[in-house]
Amino acid sequence: MTSTAQELHPAPTLAPGRTILELNGLEKRYPGTHALKPVHLAFKAGEIHAIVGENGAGKSTLIKLLTGVMPRTSGEVIWEGKPAALATPHEAMALGINAVHQEVVLCRHLTVAANMFLGEEESRFGLLQQRAMVKDAQKIIDGLGFDLPAHVVLGDLTIGQQQLIAAARATVRGTKFLIFDEPTAYLTRKEADQLFKLIRRLKGEGVTIIYISHRMEEVFELADRVSVLRDGTLVGTRNIAETDEAELVKLMINRSIEQIYHKEHFTPGATIVETKNLSGKGFENVSVTVRAGEIVGLYGLIGAGRSEFVTTLYGRHRKSAGQILWEGKEVQVNSEHDAIKLGMALAPESRRDQGLCLNLSVGMNLNLPIYKRISSNALISGAKEKAEADRQIADLRIKTPTRSALASSLSGGNQQKIVIGKWLAHGAKLFIFDEPTVGVDVGTKAEIYRLFSTLLSKGAGIILISSYLPEVYELADTLHVFRRGKLVATHGFRTASHEDILGQALAEKQEKSGGQK
Amino acid sequence: MSTEAIPAEKPKRNFNALFGLTLLGLLLLMWIVLAVATPSFATALNITNLLRQGSLIAILAVGQTFVIITGGIDLSVGAVVGFTTVVVALLINAGWPIWAAVLITLLVGVAIGLFHGFGIVKMGLPPFIITLATMTSLRGIGLLMTNGNSISINSDPFQAFSRGSLFGIPYLFWMVILVAIPSYIFLHHTRWGRYLFSVGSNAEAARLSGVNVPRTIFMAYILSGLLAAFVGVLLASRIGIGNPTQGDTYELQAIASSVIGGTSLFGAIGSVHGPLIGSFILSTINNGANLLNVNTFWQRVITGALIIVIVYFDGLRRRGK
Ligand SMILES: Nc1ncnc2c1ncn2[C@@H]1O[C@H](COP(=O)(O)OP(=O)(O)OP(=O)(O)O)[C@@H](O)[C@H]1O
Ligand SMILES: [Mg+2]
Repeated sequence: MTSTAQELHPAPTLAPGRTILELNGLEKRYPGTHALKPVHLAFKAGEIHAIVGENGAGKSTLIKLLTGVMPRTSGEVIWEGKPAALATPHEAMALGINAVHQEVVLCRHLTVAANMFLGEEESRFGLLQQRAMVKDAQKIIDGLGFDLPAHVVLGDLTIGQQQLIAAARATVRGTKFLIFDEPTAYLTRKEADQLFKLIRRLKGEGVTIIYISHRMEEVFELADRVSVLRDGTLVGTRNIAETDEAELVKLMINRSIEQIYHKEHFTPGATIVETKNLSGKGFENVSVTVRAGEIVGLYGLIGAGRSEFVTTLYGRHRKSAGQILWEGKEVQVNSEHDAIKLGMALAPESRRDQGLCLNLSVGMNLNLPIYKRISSNALISGAKEKAEADRQIADLRIKTPTRSALASSLSGGNQQKIVIGKWLAHGAKLFIFDEPTVGVDVGTKAEIYRLFSTLLSKGAGIILISSYLPEVYELADTLHVFRRGKLVATHGFRTASHEDILGQALAEKQEKSGGQK
Repeated sequence: MSTEAIPAEKPKRNFNALFGLTLLGLLLLMWIVLAVATPSFATALNITNLLRQGSLIAILAVGQTFVIITGGIDLSVGAVVGFTTVVVALLINAGWPIWAAVLITLLVGVAIGLFHGFGIVKMGLPPFIITLATMTSLRGIGLLMTNGNSISINSDPFQAFSRGSLFGIPYLFWMVILVAIPSYIFLHHTRWGRYLFSVGSNAEAARLSGVNVPRTIFMAYILSGLLAAFVGVLLASRIGIGNPTQGDTYELQAIASSVIGGTSLFGAIGSVHGPLIGSFILSTINNGANLLNVNTFWQRVITGALIIVIVYFDGLRRRGK
C-alpha cells in the first residue's frame, strides 16, 4: 500500500450517532479470575467514549476482546449490525477496529517506519521499499504533528515516544474505531496535547473512539460519554455533561475519597545524599541534595535527563564528572549492587523492561530485593517469604488470585504496584521512584502517597520523578525542574505556579530530540 | 455465531485424559506397558541396566537445566565428559590416589565453567557460541593429549565402583540422588536458585533489584561444568578407558531431557525433578526399543517423534492448568 494523508482515514459509512458497535453480554473468564462479567453496551458512531475503573476492573480485558487479542468466553459483539467473531487481531483490523494498547506492543529492534507498516509493508516485485516507507512514515508522523524521526530504531525512543508511534500506527490503517488504553500514562503534558489534537481530529473525521484513563481531567476534557467498570461489571454510563469527578470516583471504588494527595511535612533531618555537579550521559552539572524526611521532586519533559540522572546515581551508568556524597562522605557507586549496599532503592520507569520479571510469580518479584534478608545461610525461609509477599499484596491491595500467580497475568496498574512494593520491605534510606503511579488508579495512588509518608516518618528520603505535574507539585518539598539534561530551576513546596514550572520545563522550542543520538 | 462466540478453549477438553497424565505418570505407564509386552524388561538385570544408562544423562540434564533457566545453553557438556574421562584416566595411571584424581578432574570441570562464564560475562559472547567453541576445542585437546588413542585405566577399584550396587540399586543411580537432593535444595530453597530464575526472566529487572547478574551466570556454567566432569568420572569408571570422543551427543540428550522435563528454552522456567524424569523417559524409549527389537535406524526416528509429542502435550497440559 502507498499511504497519503488523504487515504488514511476513509470516511466511516455510518451516520454519526447511530450504533456502530454493540456488546451483547460480552464475558471473559481467565483461569481463577472472572475479569469481565456479561457487559451490555452500545457505542455510537463518532463519539469519544471514556472507560474508567480501578486497576484490574477489566478495562484492558474488554479491549483485548474487541481487538481479537484474546478469545471471549461468551457473549456477542455486533459490528455495524452484524455479529462479528473477532477471533484474530487481523479480523478486527479488517473491520476497522484498531487499538493503542496499554503496553507498547511493537518491535523494539525495528525502525519506527518498519513498525508503522508492520504487516502491511510496501513492496515492489516482492522487495521491500524501505526508503519509500521511511518517507511515508515521516510524512504521517509530521502530519500528526509529532516531532519524531521515522528512520531510528524504535527501542531508542522513550516509552512516551513509542506510545505516540503506536498511536500513529493505529491511525494509518483505515480506522473506523480506535481504542486508546491509557495512552497518556507515559506522556508529558506537551505530548499529551499533541495526542489530544490527534484524537479530536479523528473524531472530526467520524472515527469512534474509546478512551481509557485514570486521569479524570482528561476524561472530562475529551469524552462525550463515560462508562465505569467495577470488578468486571459495568456499573454505569453517563453523558459527560451530566456527571462530575466525585460521582465517577464513587462509582469506581464504591466509596468516596476526600484527598488524593496526602502530604505530611516533616522537619528535614541529616543529609542522605548529595550530588555535586554530577554529569553523565544525558545530563550535566546536576547538584541535588536529599535529606531525611523530605521528598525531592524532579519534573521535566520525558527525555529531559531525569531518569538518566537517577540511574547514574544508582550505579547503572558511569558518571563522567562530579561527585556523589553519601551521608557526607564521597562514594564511588560503580554498580546497582554498590547503590543497594549504601541504602538506595530504585523503582524504575519501565515496568516491562526494567521493573518486573513477567514470567515469574508475584511473590518472587516482590521478594527479589530482600532474599538476602529472608534467608539464613542461603536457605530461604519459606514462611517469611510467604509472609512478606502476602503483606505487600495486602498493603498495596494488589489484585491477584494468589502470590504464586504470574506477574504477567496482572493488570497494568497492579504490575506497577509490584514495582513499588518490592522496595517497601527493603528498608532503604533513599528511595528513588521513577514515575511510580503510571497507570495506577485513584484509590491506590492515595494509598501509595500515604506509604511515602510512612517512609519519610521512618527517616528515609525520597526522590520522586514524575511527568505528571500535579503529582510532584502536591508532594515535593523541593521541586527541581529539568530541561534538556540540565537542572534549570528549583522551587519549594507550592512556591511556584503550574504555569511557571511548565514554562521552565519547556522554555525554548524543542528540536527533534530523544531518538537521535 | 454461537460456535464462534466460544472460541479456542473448548476443544482442549477432549485431551483431558492426557492432561492429567504427568510426566512421572507417563514414565510409569511406559514401564508397565514394556513389562507386559516384553518378558525381559522387568528383570533385575535390565532394570539396573536402565538405571545405569539413564543416570549419566540425568546428572548432565540437571546442570544443563541450571544454565537454561538463566536463558543460556551449554553445548559443551558432551565434550567435557569425553575430555574428563581422559583427565581422570591419565591421573590414575600416573599413580595419583583415586580421590585426588577425581577431585582434580572435578576442578577441571569447574575451570571450564569459569571459562564459559568469562566468555559470556566479560567478553559478551552468546552462550551458544562460547560453549560451541569449547565443544569443538575440548575434543581436539583431548585427542592431542592421547594421540587419538584410548587410555585404559589401571585401577580395579575405580572400575568396580560403576558395577557395584547398594540395596540392589546401582551406585551410579545413587549418584543421581546424591546430585539431585542438593540441586533441588539449591534451586528451590536458596536465594541463588531464585536469582537464576530472575536472571532468566528479566536480567535488567534482576540487576536493578540488586541481583549480581554476572555472578549468577558464572554460577550456572560452573555447576554445569562441574556436573559434566562428574559424569566424565562416572563414565570412565563404567567403560574403564579415557577417550576424548566419548560422550558424543550427550549434550543434545541432556538438553532434550531438560526440555521434556518442562524446562523452557526461553529461560525462567524449570525444575530439578523434571529433567531427571525426562532423562529416564529418554533412556526407557531406547531400552524399550531395543527389547522390542526395533530396527536401530527406526529407533532414532521414533525418539525424535516422541520428543515432539511429549513436549507438545506437556505444553498443552501446563497451559490448560
Ligand atoms: N492473561 C491473564 N491471565 C489471568 N488473569 C488475567 C490475565 N490478564 C488479566 N487478568 C486479570 O483480569 C483482571 C482484569 O484485568 P485488566 O487488565 O482488564 O484490568 P484493567 O482494568 O485494564 O486494569 P489497569 O487499570 O490496572 O490496567 C485482573 O484481575 C487481572 O489480574
Ligand atoms: Mg489495563
